[in-house]
Amino acid sequence: MNKKSPSYILLFMAAICIVCGTGVAIVNYATQGLLKKNAALHRNRVLCHAFQLKVDGTSAEAYQQAVEANLQASLIQDGSSQRQMYRQITPGHPSIGFEFSGMGFWDRITGILVLTPNLQDVLNIQFLEQKETPGLGARIEEPWFTDQFKGLKIDWDAPEGKFIVVGADSNPDALNRVDAITGATQTSMALMQFMNAELARIRNLDLDEQKTKENGEQE
Amino acid sequence: MADSYSKILKDGLLSQNPIYRQVLGICSALAVTNLLTNTLFMCFGVTFAAALTNFTVSLLRNHIPKRIRMIVQVIIIATYVMMIDILIKAVAPDIHRFIGPYVGLIITNCIIMGRAEAFASQNKPIPSLMDGLACGLGYSSVLIAIAVIREIMGFGTLMGFALPARDLWWHQWTIMVMPPGAFFMLAIITWFARAKLVKEEDA
Repeated sequence: MNKKSPSYILLFMAAICIVCGTGVAIVNYATQGLLKKNAALHRNRVLCHAFQLKVDGTSAEAYQQAVEANLQASLIQDGSSQRQMYRQITPGHPSIGFEFSGMGFWDRITGILVLTPNLQDVLNIQFLEQKETPGLGARIEEPWFTDQFKGLKIDWDAPEGKFIVVGADSNPDALNRVDAITGATQTSMALMQFMNAELARIRNLDLDEQKTKENGEQE
Repeated sequence: MADSYSKILKDGLLSQNPIYRQVLGICSALAVTNLLTNTLFMCFGVTFAAALTNFTVSLLRNHIPKRIRMIVQVIIIATYVMMIDILIKAVAPDIHRFIGPYVGLIITNCIIMGRAEAFASQNKPIPSLMDGLACGLGYSSVLIAIAVIREIMGFGTLMGFALPARDLWWHQWTIMVMPPGAFFMLAIITWFARAKLVKEEDA
């Protein structure tokens, strides 16, 4: 067949697309189990860190057991969508965690925000997914940054968008303020913006009704 | 034949090094070199993609219609890069979370497309494989050198391990973690390599 003819070109393109597509599909299929395991391990690990759960070992099973023994997961109605919520059921450690999400500098950032049951204080924050610049914005996952949120007071009386402050503020000693990341101002600002938006939504959730439902399910 | 292979290797590593001679693949050299572990995975990705793309393009060189050769090369590169992306995600998910966006960008890495077009489309499969490997290793050698210096100076660590008693003798240079740090290091390494490693007649 003439290599310049349109039919040869079309056939060649179709063949190469089929072969290449099949190759990618095979690799994807072969690693599917591993990818699912990794995703589950990552989520459980983040939950354990966020709620500061005691984990016996570092295996996937150990993290899974810690989550199952200490957390009660549920979905709560948030406007037209649903939000993932976790209640810590370990005696003496009342806390409530919410999955949050928002646009960072490059892509969507998701994480777990753990609050006291009265929603007045932040107990911890951990990130599930982020694609910020390695070494800069990606440092939001580092302990020195997330540790700043432990014990942070949420200023519900502040204007919307200032419940918590990331970076410079007129009062540097404010109890609702954490330091931004040097060299990652855009990520820090984006984080502050969507965290405040998420806090505003969390404040409007009907947590009492959710608790009643959960108790009913348990009975 | 052995001579020609060693010349291909030498060209890729030194006299035709993709970074400091051909000034290709600079974007990723700047983006992923602030941590050595991330750099190693990126180097593996580029080397793997360059070698196998060259091999495949060379195997198909007599069958690929000239008018669509670039599209075919991109499809082949994209296939290998997607495979690498999936493999890194499966094997090293924590690393993938950091360098995932850049792994996808290997598809647009000029080194791979450049070698496929300039070498693989005109040579036999094994020398083409060697050429891709050599270019990948040449790229890796420069990236690793930059990453070692940037991580030590920027974080006071190497592959995540803190240098001994670093707080006593080293104050971290934030600029080395940031993009300007990569520009400075790239310029210094390019100058050093061109001045000391490569004789002009080799090029």
